[in-house]
Amino acid sequence: MPVKNLYLKIPWWITQVLLTVVVSAGAARAQTISGTVRSAEKKEPLSGVTIQVKGAANGTTTDMNGRYSLSGVKPSDSLSFSSVGFQKETVSVNGRTQLDISLSAEASSLDQLVVIGYGREKKSSLTAAISRVENDILDQIPTGRIENALAGRLAGVNISNTVSSPGATPIIRIRGLGSISASNNPLVVIDGFPGGSLANINMNDVASIEVLKDASSAAIYGSRGSGGVIIVTTKSGRTGKPKLSFNAFYGSANAIGHHDWITGQEFYDYQVRYKNRDFANAGGDVSLPVWGDDRRPATYQVNPVIKEGNTIWEDVLLNPAPIQNYHLSLSGGTENVRYYVSGGLKDEQGTLINTWYKTYSVRAKVDVKINNVVSAGFLINPEFSKRRTSPVTMEAIAKMPPFLSPKKNPDGTYPKPLDYWGTSVSAGVSPLAVLYGTHNISSTFNSLGEVYLDLNLLEGLKFRTSLDANIAYSTGENYQAASATTNSVSTGSSADTRNINLINENVLSYDKTFNGIHSLNAILGASYQKTTSRNAYLGVLPGSFNNDIIETLNNATISPTASGTSKSQWGLVSYFGRINYGFKDRYLVSASYRTDGSSRFGPRNRWGSFPSVSAAWRISQEDFFRNVPVISNLKIRASYGIAGNFNIGDFQYLGKISDTYYSPDGELTKGQAQSNFGNAELQWEKTKSTDLGIELGLFSDRLNFVFDYYDKRTYGLLYNVGIPAVSGFTSSLVNVGDIGNKGFELEINSVNLDGAFKWQTSFNLSHDKNKVLDLGGVDEVINTHSRGMSWLLRIGEPMFSYYGYKLIGVLQDQEDVDNSPVLPGSKPGNGKYEDVNGDGQITPDDKVILGNFQPSVFMGMVNNFSWKNFDLSIALQSSIGAKMYDLENLYYEGPTVCAMRLSLIENQWWSEAEPGDGKTPSTALSELAYVANSDYYIENASFLAVRNVNLGYTFPTALANRLHLNTFRVYLSASNLLMITSKDFHGYNPEGYTMGEVDGIGSMPGFNNGATPINRTFVFGVNVVF
Amino acid sequence: MILLVSALGLASCNDQYLDLLPPSDLTEANFYKTANDMNSAVIGIYSSYQARIPRDWILLEMPSDELYPTGYHNFFGLTDLNSLAFLPDDQHFSDFWKKSYSGIYRANAVLKNIEIPTDYEATQKDQYTGEARFMRALFYFDLVRMFGGIPKVTSLFSVEESKSTPRASEAEIYALITDDLKAAIDMLPPKENMQKGRANKGAATALLVKVYVYLKDWKNAKTYLDKMPDFHYRLMDDFAALWTEQNEDNDEIIFAMKYTAETNGQPLTDDFLPYFGVTGISKHGQENGFPAWSLMKKYEKDDSRKAVTFTEYWKSPDSPEEEPAIWYPYVNKFAVPHTTPGSSGLDIPVLRYADLLLLKAEVLYNLNQPDQALTALNSVRERAFGNTDHDYALSDIPDAEAFYDKLLLERQLELAFENQRWFDLVRTGRYLTVLKQLETSYNPATQTPLVLHLDPKEFQKHFPIPQDQIDLNNPGVLEQNEGYK
Repeated sequence: MPVKNLYLKIPWWITQVLLTVVVSAGAARAQTISGTVRSAEKKEPLSGVTIQVKGAANGTTTDMNGRYSLSGVKPSDSLSFSSVGFQKETVSVNGRTQLDISLSAEASSLDQLVVIGYGREKKSSLTAAISRVENDILDQIPTGRIENALAGRLAGVNISNTVSSPGATPIIRIRGLGSISASNNPLVVIDGFPGGSLANINMNDVASIEVLKDASSAAIYGSRGSGGVIIVTTKSGRTGKPKLSFNAFYGSANAIGHHDWITGQEFYDYQVRYKNRDFANAGGDVSLPVWGDDRRPATYQVNPVIKEGNTIWEDVLLNPAPIQNYHLSLSGGTENVRYYVSGGLKDEQGTLINTWYKTYSVRAKVDVKINNVVSAGFLINPEFSKRRTSPVTMEAIAKMPPFLSPKKNPDGTYPKPLDYWGTSVSAGVSPLAVLYGTHNISSTFNSLGEVYLDLNLLEGLKFRTSLDANIAYSTGENYQAASATTNSVSTGSSADTRNINLINENVLSYDKTFNGIHSLNAILGASYQKTTSRNAYLGVLPGSFNNDIIETLNNATISPTASGTSKSQWGLVSYFGRINYGFKDRYLVSASYRTDGSSRFGPRNRWGSFPSVSAAWRISQEDFFRNVPVISNLKIRASYGIAGNFNIGDFQYLGKISDTYYSPDGELTKGQAQSNFGNAELQWEKTKSTDLGIELGLFSDRLNFVFDYYDKRTYGLLYNVGIPAVSGFTSSLVNVGDIGNKGFELEINSVNLDGAFKWQTSFNLSHDKNKVLDLGGVDEVINTHSRGMSWLLRIGEPMFSYYGYKLIGVLQDQEDVDNSPVLPGSKPGNGKYEDVNGDGQITPDDKVILGNFQPSVFMGMVNNFSWKNFDLSIALQSSIGAKMYDLENLYYEGPTVCAMRLSLIENQWWSEAEPGDGKTPSTALSELAYVANSDYYIENASFLAVRNVNLGYTFPTALANRLHLNTFRVYLSASNLLMITSKDFHGYNPEGYTMGEVDGIGSMPGFNNGATPINRTFVFGVNVVF
Repeated sequence: MILLVSALGLASCNDQYLDLLPPSDLTEANFYKTANDMNSAVIGIYSSYQARIPRDWILLEMPSDELYPTGYHNFFGLTDLNSLAFLPDDQHFSDFWKKSYSGIYRANAVLKNIEIPTDYEATQKDQYTGEARFMRALFYFDLVRMFGGIPKVTSLFSVEESKSTPRASEAEIYALITDDLKAAIDMLPPKENMQKGRANKGAATALLVKVYVYLKDWKNAKTYLDKMPDFHYRLMDDFAALWTEQNEDNDEIIFAMKYTAETNGQPLTDDFLPYFGVTGISKHGQENGFPAWSLMKKYEKDDSRKAVTFTEYWKSPDSPEEEPAIWYPYVNKFAVPHTTPGSSGLDIPVLRYADLLLLKAEVLYNLNQPDQALTALNSVRERAFGNTDHDYALSDIPDAEAFYDKLLLERQLELAFENQRWFDLVRTGRYLTVLKQLETSYNPATQTPLVLHLDPKEFQKHFPIPQDQIDLNNPGVLEQNEGYK
């Protein structure tokens, strides 16, 4: 993809500020200071310690003997001493010229606490595969949704932005897909509340995000853990001086579009080729004049009017759009009370006309220690979001032809293609009429709240009980004016939903180390959850709006079949326990058990159990390993566990009676019929997984590797298995079938440079091999789209592989057709396909697997640099091996006289005289049956993206202090600075699928029919701490 | 401690979390309890047929000589069907099969549970039973004509039963159909006592006549034909008036699927209209099939059915005024004005009196009453031409071949696009010759049709059993038809 429009505009005043800083730093009374730096524990001199004058540019490092000398230091300056593996120290000079100091060993990253289900654990003590990312600058990434900020940062976690419109939900997959009909989404736990949504949280409030990847860590969440668990921990107040932080950014997004649209004469010439080819296929004589001759049927004529006009609709529809984010937080606390309060506002305008996403959030968290026994607290997090979405997919509007003017007619309407030419052209109305005449607005008010009480019962023994409530109200309002529709029929609908999700959790925990050798940590808990939902929906009779001024439904006639209310509910009762034991911090074992009862299953199979065990050996702690040079940490670990999936919707085990309609006597009458087979035997879908991991730290943990191998098997799939229609149904939800995922992950964290110029790299690579292992008695299930492509579930192959004919060339002429194995009815210009079984004809038996929507490898790399007061972070993401079924290309290849992209048509077979490159068949709508069922539209969706670049400058403390600020940092952040895709990829977004991902047996993942472009976004931001 | 106790207390009331029932859905446990439930369940049976029939043209008209796929068509596989390439994995066979058996299931569910309610009034129970059996017969009649012998299902199956039920013979299916229809005749009220669009005694009798014609059981056909006068069906004077919403409950309709525009409409109307719509009719057609020249050329100039069945010249509703109408023939038979594309209110006839009159002609001819056969045949022609000038005389039908030429022509002209032609060609064996060449589009400027040469085969009298249904059965249970293996 050519890198156009790549520019960085640095406002002039930033340059001014930078100049001022540099100049002012040098103007002071200088002196020289020297001394020795030693380690606090062993009193050994430390070499290579960085000494930096706070807020100034000068600094130095210690020599082999730990000695340093630094000139140009003012008596009022502070010096900071830092070295890998030691705690940073900042000391005021206070006029001294000699300053010795000792640094204590840093509570190493291994002692960092990692959040696990119902507790925390030292990273070094973990026996499971857990990834963690901290929010350092993630809240500065210009995106409306926090998932996007995490893309590429966590090994084994594939986050894809399938819909690139403001507020759209990205897809998160942890270690591949295991389920067909139940959801593959991970469980999101926000501050202990299971079942939250990442949509309802502001990244600015997030402290860290942990991902529980293996079943041994996820099993503690039992029936909901099989897709992995994402634990979000929000910021809390800390004891100390109140802190007021402000983070804001403002900038602009630009869509990354195509650059090969054709217009004018070139467009006309290709349309003539298109019509002539169709005419020839219908037995016509293409030497007849293309316009104004009755011997050529109207369908095959080309009106010269299409030559006029040079509108590229993509340019009209996509415009630079502002994005802004403001967040203010206040935190602090005393010994007994800690608080964190914040408010945020985010406004993301879409690059596509009339799309946007706005969120307003407030968060308050208070923790109170009442006495030595009792602590309590609460949090409340109301959030309101509002979103306007496009009523159409991108291809439906970008395909508008160049002769269609975007200018309004004198009467205020927009011209449509049929105004220029009465037949053959697209019947659509102007995209502007659609986008301005349609109001699809949804809003959600979501409030997450929690109260808890902690009791310190005995030394090490604690009891915590909490009540969480997530209450959500959403409203969707849709209105489409008659002028916005092809049929000139106004429509409207409205829906209100209410969702109340309550959970009470009670956990008894015990944590103690005996004799300094045996560490024991155990929990025992019970949890009760119930969700009720209500949905009210109204639809109107099409065309019944009295006018296009009032858009609410009181201006129309309500449709009886499209209106009503409905309710549903589910409950979950759980008991769980876990015990972790460590001997001398070397041998670590952990076991957990959870049993869940769910109302979603029949009484006989209501309860499921989910056990796990894991163990780790910290070899580097062994005495015999003490003297091994270079290796500072070595741990091997293994785990096994079972987690479940209950995402099948409510009451699926019952045979439901649904409404049907008929019109006896011409009057709409409601009838009823059973809509699914009841299955009292229905039970949990489960995933058992084994994980083997090695953690290796080198050079005092300056270079760290984590490698994990996993083998997952999802069994007893909640699977809508096809059954013979003579049963009255076409499918039945049963527990049958197995899906396997095997793979490995590698994380590398490295401190490359640690002097005045710092450079850190974190890299992760994940490989997952998905395989269908059992389909409950059949070898394969084929699911075919109406355009001919099939999606295949076959034992031994990745789920939902593309299945169709393999294109090996183009039928050049009739002789070629006669002498080649062909699909019945093939003509010159159609594809030549591989005759797999060699029977001389192309039949469904010749279909082969043509790839899969899942990448085989995905990677991420973040490089952080800092030099003096500047910091730079570059985040890359790459995905390799995924294939996309890019049927949208069809719309840009000329049907209904629509816009054409040169790269899609220039190599086509147009006639025997213009046979193209011999690899590109004719793709007319009338020839689609010979193309769309082959790999012609399957494209390589691999990509390498520079997802984010963040360049910051922190003002010197002195200057900040003068402004009464603690910290003052400005930054430029850019998203999708570069997106490199395969040469044969034609879509807007290599992750852009429009038919959803895997969601039942009829899924068509990887199908792109009009994904929106991704945006290149530049913002300027400030971080201020008072 | 209080909290701990209360937490444990909660444990004892797990049921309040787990023993939940759907607040908004009935289930099989609490349905089929009252006469009203049974009425709803019977409506459910009609609903399956109502949903299926608008797209029956895909399998029944596309392979015939009446329709061909357009360049715009949005159903995959129409070209194959049009060129008689019947592929076992064509979704359309599977769809038809699934929808029909879904209807049969609903009928069986009514019949199984009919004894449960105790609040029936008067003849309600008989009526619901009769309706269920009528509809079951209708579904089976469609299936057996298309696929030959098929699994016979008269009870509610478990999954295992559904995987292990082989095909019954054609004779067994026909026996079930005639049994059901005879029972329906006994149990159903006359049409005057039934809502329009639901089965009645006359409809069951007429359908049984048709079934006997397909069985070439002329004597039994005649027996039931003779009962028809009791039901007061007649030809309407104006053929065009049959195809309007205002006039759809007329005396010619024996059984039709009823629709209401917008809320419960059918997509058939738009399936055949030009993509850009037709002024005053529809804003947006689907343009899936165009009328074949093979059919169009057969209409005589004075035949009132010609202009009703198709329209030759069309002007795009939104085209600039100065543009003239162009040669763009489309099927007009079901074109009625409607607002929402895909939701037309025009009823779709399943069986009308003109069809029955032509069946009567066939029965009488085969019972050696050619003069009375001609009377029936001519009555249809007379209505079409508005006079007797086009009547056939005995001299026009010197032999059976000649009679069937005239009869099938008339059936085609009268019943074009009403899903009869394919069955008529197959049951008379004429598909083997008639479908050898198909004239699709026609160019009036050059006066040449586009000709498609086809090769119909004997085994194609039946469609392939849908491959997915064979695969879903236990191995070897559902056997494929000859020629498709």
